[in-house]
Amino acid sequence: MIVEISHFFSILSAGLFFLAFIFSTRTYQGNHNLELLVNRIFSYGFYFIFISFLLYVWLAIQSDFSIRYIAEHSNKDLPTFYKISSIWSAHEGSMFLWILFLAGWSQLFNYLLSKNDLLKAPAIGVLAFIIFGFLIFLLFTSNPFETILPIAPINGADINPVLQDPALVIHPPFLYLGYVGFVIAFAYNTAFLIKGDMQINWEDVIRPWSLAAWVLLTIGISLGSWWAYYELGWGGYWFWDPVENVALMPWLAGTALIHSLYVSSKSKVLRGWTILLSISVFSLSLFGAFIVRSGIIDSVHAFANDPQRGLYLLAFSAVLITTSLIFYVYRLPQLISKNLVVAKSKESFLSINNILFAAAIFAVMLGVMYPLIFDYLYDKRISVGPPYYNTIFAPLTFLAAIFLVFSVGSLWQRTSKLLNFKSFLSMSILFAAAASICISYIYQDFQWWFVGALFSGLLILIRYFLLIVDSMIKKSYFNKPSAIAHIGFGVLILATALNASLSYEKIINIKPGEIYKDSDYEFYLIDFDLINEPNYDSVRAKFSVKNIYTPNKTFFMFPEKRKYFIRGQITSESAIKITPYKDIYMTLGDQLDNGYWVVNIQYNYLIRWIWIAAAIMGIGGFAALMERLKRK
Amino acid sequence: MNKIRKKRLVSVMTLIATSFLGVYLILSALNSNLDYFYTPSEIINAEIPNNKRVKLGGMVQMQSVIRDGTNISFNITDFSNSINVSYNGVVPDLFKEGSGIVAYGMIVDNRLIAENIFAKHDENYMPPNIEIPSE
Amino acid sequence: MNTLLRFSILIIPIVGILFFYNLLTEDKFYPGANFKNFNVPNFKLQSLDSASSFKKEDLQNELLLNVWASWCITCRIEHDFLMKLNSEGVRVTGLNYKDESIDAINWLNSYGNPYNFNLHDLKGSLALDMGVTGAPETFLIKDGVVLVHYSGEVNQAIWDSVFIPIIQENKMFK
Repeated sequence: MIVEISHFFSILSAGLFFLAFIFSTRTYQGNHNLELLVNRIFSYGFYFIFISFLLYVWLAIQSDFSIRYIAEHSNKDLPTFYKISSIWSAHEGSMFLWILFLAGWSQLFNYLLSKNDLLKAPAIGVLAFIIFGFLIFLLFTSNPFETILPIAPINGADINPVLQDPALVIHPPFLYLGYVGFVIAFAYNTAFLIKGDMQINWEDVIRPWSLAAWVLLTIGISLGSWWAYYELGWGGYWFWDPVENVALMPWLAGTALIHSLYVSSKSKVLRGWTILLSISVFSLSLFGAFIVRSGIIDSVHAFANDPQRGLYLLAFSAVLITTSLIFYVYRLPQLISKNLVVAKSKESFLSINNILFAAAIFAVMLGVMYPLIFDYLYDKRISVGPPYYNTIFAPLTFLAAIFLVFSVGSLWQRTSKLLNFKSFLSMSILFAAAASICISYIYQDFQWWFVGALFSGLLILIRYFLLIVDSMIKKSYFNKPSAIAHIGFGVLILATALNASLSYEKIINIKPGEIYKDSDYEFYLIDFDLINEPNYDSVRAKFSVKNIYTPNKTFFMFPEKRKYFIRGQITSESAIKITPYKDIYMTLGDQLDNGYWVVNIQYNYLIRWIWIAAAIMGIGGFAALMERLKRK
Repeated sequence: MNKIRKKRLVSVMTLIATSFLGVYLILSALNSNLDYFYTPSEIINAEIPNNKRVKLGGMVQMQSVIRDGTNISFNITDFSNSINVSYNGVVPDLFKEGSGIVAYGMIVDNRLIAENIFAKHDENYMPPNIEIPSE
Repeated sequence: MNTLLRFSILIIPIVGILFFYNLLTEDKFYPGANFKNFNVPNFKLQSLDSASSFKKEDLQNELLLNVWASWCITCRIEHDFLMKLNSEGVRVTGLNYKDESIDAINWLNSYGNPYNFNLHDLKGSLALDMGVTGAPETFLIKDGVVLVHYSGEVNQAIWDSVFIPIIQENKMFK
């Protein structure tokens, strides 16, 4: 009964969004009452989809297995937490969540944007159309409300044990919130392009929304990386998998967007770039959704789906993207500013930044598309691996870092003398060069990417250090959110480089009672425990570990191997010891005939700092958002 | 007017030149980093030159797994032909006889010295695939 | 700015759309469909009630072999379609996979039996030899040769686009 109500409310919501869209097209004549009606219908559209989703969550908590999707992905014995998260563990349910967030962001926008805003009506119309299109997709091709009747299964299929994890519960919601949040910029800018009034100050409107979406997307991607690290057993945090890449591209475009917005709002140049970027971010999100859900990409990560769904998503995305691009191209001459960007001004460095990010997006897109194109043309399967992406990203990152440092202390619309002998810039370059050579020498690693990364990262940190100290002494203004975020970027560069260079692993054979002595640590395998949980059995190793230099402080590590009953699936739970500079990461392998076990010990240097760096960037973005909101 | 036009022309030309350079660099990086995917039959028939890194996909042949300390050796088959693979390290959780895997490494004398082993998730056994930073 | 140059930006998305459209509508593009032929391996398995045993030679000349289990939820959903195939005269043989015979028999009694007979593959050895990695999966077999191996739920859409063409091509089930 409840499922029918939930289903009905979704249909109702779709109808309301459709109405809102239709009516919005008639508001061109400037009919204010009609605009208010559109906003109200839109709001009700949101309320109904929201209630529909809440009811669905209720059904999941109640373990109502008459509903096919819930039966396929949930289980009576799951903790409530995971019963809820099982909703977004597969295609139909995660699509439902995606649409909920789309509607949620849009409704917030509807609520907060002044009703006197000239672009509000067409923007709401665009949003209504987008939400309607996705709801139709959900209801017709990916229906989460389908029932199995007359006899419902007594118990559901267990969800993949790998998904029974707190990180996997929060990672998709944050990711979707970020992804989908850029629809506001997309819709508002499309409305701007349709209306064609060049005087409208759209930058100030979309800037807070884009910042907020960016922060959430940064967090979402970081959560995914962190989860992959501790759950997958390989000790890696980024695999350049196509599905990861299609989440990275919107992030790259989003980062470029918030920087370009900064320029456009201050100097009215780069408007063309900024609008193109705002169209691109959401377009890349659409592209990502398509790639993952159409069945085209054969990846460990992709949802297995049929081409029918792919065709719909392709058609719908095509309509959205080409429509906005057509209007963009049509208005482009009016968008381009008559003023030139002054050489060596802040604008110039930020426009170079745009170009670098565009190159990065192009490179990733090529890496994702190339296997598809190659297979299509030559009928040969290839894959593009990490070496390609690392080779491309390293130089681009270094260039970005260098131009970033040039831009600190540069001036709006004026050339500034940056590279004179006593300038902070010169000092930073000298210190960074000296320090990176020293560090390379200490670690005996002179690979180009290592030295380059050290130089770039240190350059950023030193330059900002000088900026902060100087501003504190002179009590002068400096852009704090930007400083925070960029310091985070500097830390990220250093952490990834040091992690790549210093980390290593040892594979050993060991049996209970033996001690393995490594260069800094001693591992004593005490024994194994057999553990019985309701849904799995496990073999757990008990290691007592101590650092040779502090022999009195021992700690324990418990890597284990689990066998889940319902699917007979075997997983490894790695044991991780976190120390300030590194992680000790132990994975249990197989047992050999002679009673020995294969064990993998990894030393992952500075890996926590990678996520800390991402968090710092997020905090910077959040601070920028707060500053922006306070000024309103 | 002319001076501004000239300046604009210069900057556009520089932009185009750097773009071409950038695209060229990216494409050459791509070409030198492609991993070709083969089945065992293709490896046997195609005469892959020695010391070339490839991805080999197929099923772990029953009763072919031999362990020796931290080393493991097994055959990958596509039901027509099989190739022997050797690997040093911990194999992924889903690895077992009869499971589908992809091994990445160098082909030496029609054998694969694997640097990495990936086990394939099957959608039916576990309908929801892992959703890592994906949309 | 040159109008032609501007609008040529649109070439990029249009090419992209056409490319993906082509990929999606390619013949035989269905993730899960495998058309590589191979011989059905020799086997000896019991029926679900242990009353009889079967060998490779006991299989009919033309058949659909459906891999299923009582613990497989998607099989429950596919089951309705298999019953429908039955009513259209298509016979299905079952390969009961890694399932206790009692659970399988109860399942068939509760939901209905679309299978003419069932091979009880408790350990999954035949399934393994045929490349099965889970349930449900379906094989289209003619004269001991597998023509189609589909991994996943067979519904009307999959039946029409994956199986029917091969059935017609090989003039099966006349």
